[in-house]
Amino acid sequence: MAKKVVSTGRGGAGKSTFVALMSRYLTPPSLLIDLDPDLSLADMLGIDFQGEGKKTIVEALYDAVNERKHGGSPLTSVEDRFKGLIWGDCLYEGKGFDVMTLGTKDLEGCYCYPDHLLRKTISQLSKNYKNVVIDSPAGLEHLNRNIVSEVDDLFVILDPSEKSFIHIKKVKAILKEVGVTYDHFYLLANYMFDEESERYLKEMGEIYLGKIEYDKKVEEYNLKGESLNKLPDDSPACRSVRKILEKAGLV
Amino acid sequence: MITGRGGTGKSTFTTLLTKYINAKPLLLIDLDPDGSLAKMLGVDLEKEGKLTISDALYEVIGKGKDTKDVPDLLKRKIEEGSIIYRDKKFDLVTLGTKLAPGCYCLPDEMIKETIRNINKNYEMVVVDSPAGLEHLNRKVTPDIDDLFVVLDPSEKSAKHIERIKYVTRGVKINYRNFYLVGNYRFTDEIEAYLLRTEEKYLGRIAYDPLVREHNLKGESLFKIPEDSPSSLSVKKILVEAGYALAS
Repeated sequence: MAKKVVSTGRGGAGKSTFVALMSRYLTPPSLLIDLDPDLSLADMLGIDFQGEGKKTIVEALYDAVNERKHGGSPLTSVEDRFKGLIWGDCLYEGKGFDVMTLGTKDLEGCYCYPDHLLRKTISQLSKNYKNVVIDSPAGLEHLNRNIVSEVDDLFVILDPSEKSFIHIKKVKAILKEVGVTYDHFYLLANYMFDEESERYLKEMGEIYLGKIEYDKKVEEYNLKGESLNKLPDDSPACRSVRKILEKAGLV
Repeated sequence: MITGRGGTGKSTFTTLLTKYINAKPLLLIDLDPDGSLAKMLGVDLEKEGKLTISDALYEVIGKGKDTKDVPDLLKRKIEEGSIIYRDKKFDLVTLGTKLAPGCYCLPDEMIKETIRNINKNYEMVVVDSPAGLEHLNRKVTPDIDDLFVVLDPSEKSAKHIERIKYVTRGVKINYRNFYLVGNYRFTDEIEAYLLRTEEKYLGRIAYDPLVREHNLKGESLFKIPEDSPSSLSVKKILVEAGYALAS
């Protein structure tokens, strides 16, 4: 069974940067899942999802619904149709890791159904991987949806603000009430932390794994929409992410 | 409505807008479960004895009441004065954090109902959104006058703009003005580029060490002086959008 790793945090903290950089150090094969409707993980990994002919979960779901509407057999449910599509259409197969993304929905209503389908998919797919890594959307709502109920390693990426510290408490409260269990609850500081605010994190009584160092190139690449894959292994961001993963025993 | 990707400065913009806009009475809605608007306005809701919409909702549901009675019970809570926080400059309603499994459809539906019930009492309703896009699919405010998108300087922001348009078109959210606002990390080059596009770019929120410091310590942004860079730039943006400033 794959190790289930979830990266979460407030908006702009650096969740996707962390996952993108993590992908190169994890024991292969890994499956990376972008749970953010405002997706960017594929971009950050230099994958042109559309160009590769791949679909998002939301797109495959629309296809399944349309097939059923336009004369598909009434014996096959939308969910079964979706299951038939997901392997070929939604799974991008890369070197060392595969990628799947939730996608953007333009119909009224929430992401409960696409998330529900993804939950089922994850439990099936995870047999084939060493690691399943989930990059979450900003905020808390995805936690209420209990997409992975048994998390191995939960990384909370923080920016240096009081809101971040409140965020930690909220994350814990929701996980408890919703019934998500985890083996490790790790705190990570983002590049904006200074020594004083880092000390504050260390004294929180949680496991603090370290800081993702400021890296001019990360800022530059994200600005231009270039892949973080080009970042050299000895750059400050890569080195710090590697160190963090080593501490977590994931390399 | 103020929206944008995470960490761009939506709540900072909303707070400073509240301080400087001339609209009375003004209703503020914090639609973010991870919300911090109250804090940034210097309001301690718990101490004031106010409930978030999520708190009120689950208090009602927890008592085993039928969900169809919820709107009425919630209405009563509003009448009792336990939902709306009232200040000199603004009234405030927050969505709050939900601890039960499932999405925010029901809390959002309740806040939508609340806005529908009370918005006639206000000259202006300002909604501070959670990061991302899902709240748009829920159509809490189907008719928006001014939609502000706060941007960080990244390619992701450019895609974010396209996705907002895609979702609002799909779920039929109408807006009169679609405004772009740059955050403190914007550069002259990006501004010049945006000004050449068809979008209405209003300006950027200037970098201000005071904002950073206040947010780090969790102090109210209301205390930031009127002539600080952030205050001056937000005032300029509001004027650019055609709003009158409070004297």
